[in-house]
Amino acid sequence: MATQNIKVYKDLMGENEKWAAATRRVLAERRLSMVNLIGSPGSGKTALIEATAKKLGAGFRAAVLEGDVETTRDAERIAAVNLPVSQLLTSGACHLEAKLVYQALLELPTENLRLVIVENVGNMVCPAEFDIGEHAKVAVLSVTEGEDKPLKYPLLFREAKAVVLTKIDLLPHLDFNLAACEGFIQQVHAGVPVFKVSARTGEGLSAWADWLLGV
Amino acid sequence: MHEFSIGQSVVQTVLAELSGRGLPPGALRAARIAVGSMHQIVPDTLVFAYEALVRDTPAAGSRLVIRPVPVTARCKACGWQGALEVPLFLCGACQSGEIELITGMELHLESLEVEEHGDAEH
Repeated sequence: MATQNIKVYKDLMGENEKWAAATRRVLAERRLSMVNLIGSPGSGKTALIEATAKKLGAGFRAAVLEGDVETTRDAERIAAVNLPVSQLLTSGACHLEAKLVYQALLELPTENLRLVIVENVGNMVCPAEFDIGEHAKVAVLSVTEGEDKPLKYPLLFREAKAVVLTKIDLLPHLDFNLAACEGFIQQVHAGVPVFKVSARTGEGLSAWADWLLGV
Repeated sequence: MHEFSIGQSVVQTVLAELSGRGLPPGALRAARIAVGSMHQIVPDTLVFAYEALVRDTPAAGSRLVIRPVPVTARCKACGWQGALEVPLFLCGACQSGEIELITGMELHLESLEVEEHGDAEH
């Protein structure tokens, strides 16, 4: 049977984009910024939020959306540092999509706040693909993971508006080549700011916090 | 494994196009999509997801055809334009990192291959 080719041009992420746009509208109305922390499981995303909260104290007017596959353990940790928090469970999905974030944002008490930190599901591939309406994606990479990760996950490091290298207090115990890692980051995304921090010692947190508050 | 999420978006988009154009169930032979190489999508997995997700829909039995789009960029420093050797995002001429992507982020439905239905049929 003869076939006919019909030309169309449709964005395949259109549905996700609608929810991301709705989130941007809510953020604009409430005068909030949103950052999306992306990194592998155990890279120190939750510890970074905890340490930032402790560093800034009551002046840190932020709420957190915790994305996880299972358990509310991370939300409990965030609540313990006195930030409003809501746990998003994806029940198996490896990333957050815009609709889930939008629905959680509507429920989140954000009065007098100016920042929403989304901690994405631990994963360096999938979360980088999904716009959740954030102002900035942030790549979180721990020095225990290996310096070549920026080359292996270029989409994440290309999309990120900042990179946080965590656990730098461990550097004396590791073979991690910091200069090589910074070189790889610049080869993938020239000019992106890189913050070297230790949640444990507090090193580097001031510069990171300054950037975060400026988003 | 985000291919099933993206596969879901592909199927929703295809079904909306079929119904918007009044195309009957079974008419679709193939859906053609462009996937920029920046996306870390495994083509075979996306095809597998598509085939599983179109079952029992008006697009059942159709194929998904993926056209990969290379990552190309323009250098803001020297004006060079060309394909990048990903994961290095550096100008192919002057090695500057001051580049902007031209292609490679595509993720869209390009065309539908459908069976021709004559008016006299049935």
